[in-house]
Amino acid sequence: MPRIRPSTLIKAYQENPLLPLLLKECRTLESARNELRWLREHALRTSQTRQPQTTTPWRTYLSSICRQRSRGYPLQYILGDQPFGDLEILCRPGVLIPRPDTESYVLQAAKLVEQIALEKLSGNKEDKEDKEDSDTTNVPQSKPLQILDLCTGTGCITLLLHALLSPRFNLRITGIDISPAALSLARKNLAHNLQAGHLTHRASTDIKFHRADIMAVNPSSNGTPTIENLLGEYVAAEESDHDHERDQDSSPRELECDLLISNPPYISTADFRNGTTARSVRLFEPRLALVPAPRPHLTTTADVRPEDIFYDRILDISYRLRSKVTVLECGDIQQAERVVSMHTSMAPPAEFRVQIWPWAEEDMAFYGFHSSGGSRCVIIQRV
Amino acid sequence: MSQFRSIPRAIRFPLTQPSLQHRSFTQSHSILGKKPLPPRLQLKDEDLSISYLKGTGPGGQKINKTNSAVQISHKPSGIVIKCQATRSQSQNNKIARSLLADRVEAHLKGDQAPSRISIKADAAKKKKASKIKKARRKYRGLEGENAEAEDGSGEEGVLDADAGGLEGGLGDGRDATASEGEVQKVESKKNLPVKGKEESI
Repeated sequence: MPRIRPSTLIKAYQENPLLPLLLKECRTLESARNELRWLREHALRTSQTRQPQTTTPWRTYLSSICRQRSRGYPLQYILGDQPFGDLEILCRPGVLIPRPDTESYVLQAAKLVEQIALEKLSGNKEDKEDKEDSDTTNVPQSKPLQILDLCTGTGCITLLLHALLSPRFNLRITGIDISPAALSLARKNLAHNLQAGHLTHRASTDIKFHRADIMAVNPSSNGTPTIENLLGEYVAAEESDHDHERDQDSSPRELECDLLISNPPYISTADFRNGTTARSVRLFEPRLALVPAPRPHLTTTADVRPEDIFYDRILDISYRLRSKVTVLECGDIQQAERVVSMHTSMAPPAEFRVQIWPWAEEDMAFYGFHSSGGSRCVIIQRV
Repeated sequence: MSQFRSIPRAIRFPLTQPSLQHRSFTQSHSILGKKPLPPRLQLKDEDLSISYLKGTGPGGQKINKTNSAVQISHKPSGIVIKCQATRSQSQNNKIARSLLADRVEAHLKGDQAPSRISIKADAAKKKKASKIKKARRKYRGLEGENAEAEDGSGEEGVLDADAGGLEGGLGDGRDATASEGEVQKVESKKNLPVKGKEESI
């Protein structure tokens, strides 16, 4: 990390004595100024809402949160939320903060799912009138899209997908996480965004959050349900919903999933320690959500790296669910390529179209991705 | 509104008209007679190039970035707006778009026709002039009082400084105009180099 020049520090101090504190974490004057503005707004807002006798004056509070920030404490934990698309996601210590990269992946995944679903709809409706095609925009009467979000954390992916897709489709979205803290926050986020009007009222019935350990094969001793139990329920619920349709269907037992999306822990223990992972993330965000815990009992196919074990498992789940689209966030291009080769070794490549996104220059420029470093996602599409 | 409760309904009804609206004595008359701004220029999507500047380097879980600046350029005129007023990308996008539309309108109309920007600037100028005038009037009055009683002057100074500090603190990021100012400042700095870049391409 390059040293901050003393002249910059002096300049910052002359502008505002709190700026040098923020520079320690932000590194550039521009972003330090932004953070100071947001922190000041927050300090003023809290001082206005609370009773004046019980709290410290806002200036004192502001300097205390600036000092907290200079130690690397995440801005989102101080402010309490993070914008994600048009949603406002609450953030609490112990749950991973949503990243802007993830936002881009969700937008891309929603676009793809929408495109596929509309193609299918128009294919089904060819024999009907053209009028009905335009009706699909406001009458989501079709069969609900099944979406599964593994390692949901704050629930940001689940909620944003609902916000993006609910105007055109019926949805059934399931968010799964192992952490009880994450799940309770995810449910809080659902209620919070419903109340704020960022989500339609359908969200409360369309979205379900469940606790499960997706890595566990046998039911574990501490009573955490495995993904197997949950998938059993998932299928049962779906079958009971479509009992009447299913009677005529030729394949009543086939699982269905239109989109399986996941942002699993993917940082290697080496990258966690060697400075690649930022201090703020390393010290204050939950390791559970960042570094895959070693599973000695889990003997997967020989040469899966410890940081990739989640992908191995999630790919397996995606084949069993016959997921139409699978979107997996990865730490960098190398990891994304490893996931692609894992996929090609596990499934017949002819049935799938695989891409690493963003790949095209204009996509990277548009979404602000670094051309060589930085995160990527793998999109697997069943054709 | 409690003082109007005894007024019969038939008379109360026209109070909703702007000319008769209930107003406090501190409200200046010019606010009531304010004309709406002309509609904002609609920019074509194909003329814009948007980029979300997330900064460089590894992203994803390894880094927690708080910067969500959006930069929009209007290709025909070469005007570039960068906005980082809020933490939300979509919000920044909306703000940058409306600022850009105003800028492009002013650019197209030039100095002759009144644009949204020039109307706003005129209004701000007028408001400032009236504020200065009022302040001058107030201090002239105070000086008169001070000549009579000297003790009051110190207290007065402290009070005014406090009021100024509060105003500055509140106005800094809360309302849209302040953040617009911030954005435009950044934009004006960025404007020249980006223009140059475009020419070189």
